[in-house]
Amino acid sequence: MTLWQRIIRWLDERIGLTELVDTHLKGYRVPSEAGVFYTLGMVAVVAYAIQAVTGFVLLIYYIPHADYAFHGLQEIMRKAPFGWLFRMMHVVGSNMMVAVLFLHLFSVFFTGSYKKPRELTWLTGGLMLLFALLFCLSGYLLPWSQLSYWATTIVTAMPTAFPYLGEYVTRLLRGTEHVSGVTLNRFFALHVAILPPFLVSLMGLHVFLIRRTGISPSPFRRSEGQAGGYPLYPHFLLKGLFMVMVYLAVMFFIISFMPTLFLPAEANVPADPYKTPAHIKPGWYFLAPYQMLKLIPNKFLGIFIELLLLGVFLLWPFLDTKEERNIMRRPLLLGVFLLTLTLWILLTLWGKYS
Amino acid sequence: MKRRRFLKSMLALLGSTTLLSFLYPLLRFIAPPTGEARVERIVIPKDEVPTGGAKEVVYRETPVIIINRPGKGYIALSRVCTHLGCLVEYDGRKGRLICPCHAGVFSLDGVVLSGPPPKPLPRFSLRIEGENILIG
Repeated sequence: MTLWQRIIRWLDERIGLTELVDTHLKGYRVPSEAGVFYTLGMVAVVAYAIQAVTGFVLLIYYIPHADYAFHGLQEIMRKAPFGWLFRMMHVVGSNMMVAVLFLHLFSVFFTGSYKKPRELTWLTGGLMLLFALLFCLSGYLLPWSQLSYWATTIVTAMPTAFPYLGEYVTRLLRGTEHVSGVTLNRFFALHVAILPPFLVSLMGLHVFLIRRTGISPSPFRRSEGQAGGYPLYPHFLLKGLFMVMVYLAVMFFIISFMPTLFLPAEANVPADPYKTPAHIKPGWYFLAPYQMLKLIPNKFLGIFIELLLLGVFLLWPFLDTKEERNIMRRPLLLGVFLLTLTLWILLTLWGKYS
Repeated sequence: MKRRRFLKSMLALLGSTTLLSFLYPLLRFIAPPTGEARVERIVIPKDEVPTGGAKEVVYRETPVIIINRPGKGYIALSRVCTHLGCLVEYDGRKGRLICPCHAGVFSLDGVVLSGPPPKPLPRFSLRIEGENILIG
């Protein structure tokens, strides 16, 4: 008996490892038509893990203080061994994580996988997307660059659209009248200590719900494939692992050949609280709401409409209660989906080039 | 009262007390400090702001612009856009204040001309004493 087999047997006698693997990995069935789009959730988990690990590494040198944050980060990029790599992985990874979440969301919507009994799975997934965006927002300020400073100024001013409590909420977020070193400390705490446990809890709940309700079969399947689907391990996990490798390959391609893709010029200028850079733009994932705010000539209405759309998105499974999951048999829903997608792309491009 | 019901009531009471005892200090801890009214005065020589020109200063931690409007005299306005807090820029050629973030446009009196800002730019009291402009 080899050492490896002896370790397995030792664990098996204590925690029932073989039974665990047989039941939860080999015994757990995945629909036979589950293609690469089904693995996006798994890729998102790995993407978050990469953010956590690179974030921990950056914490070793990063100083959350308005006087040191920007130059400290420059030191990480230039002097700390491979500091540039970890920072770039964190920056590129954050954008790619949001992209993967968007793709995951689109595929879940397109396949009608949010329908009964999976409403809560959609809700937790939607909340996770919001938390991922909150991570991006809170992390945006930490480099204390012009881009960070003014993007945070805009976002923290949004609550002022609402009477009575709005001004207070803005000051609560900032800690002071304007974005300052106090805001940096608050956002740092949010980014590294407050948000992670919430996101991990939501992730746990999301996975739990998937395990309870099972992976949703595709409404478009033509053949039955293998009866009862394929086992999670090795079939589906290997497919997922392949997609993780694709994710990593794209990440390292961007870091190597397009390093400024997510770091515009304003990201390399230290924050100046008395000078708003011309044509400051948020991250690509916020360009559509940014352009909407520009187009709607009323502050309250603009922000109210965005919050309303957010509410509709989160509660969509409770609004669309028809049983038919195949979107191709629902031309109205297909039209709304394509229109929303087109509008979102158009607003994003308009925001980018306006 | 049965013992089980009493225990449930006590659990609810002690639980709420503990929660409130934690939440109140927490909310006080993260609440923004109340602003202290400070007396501050800025003095700028008039010749630093020629007719049609402007000067940017900071007054009570707020970025302020002093403009010498042709035919209308001096005015001090907050540079903080009332839309989402970016700083407006003075365009002397067009006689406008323009927000670079969401394209809000203000007149030199601080009035909204176009774009999403909901209200005019706040105005600061200003007076002329001899050859100086005084704010505050």
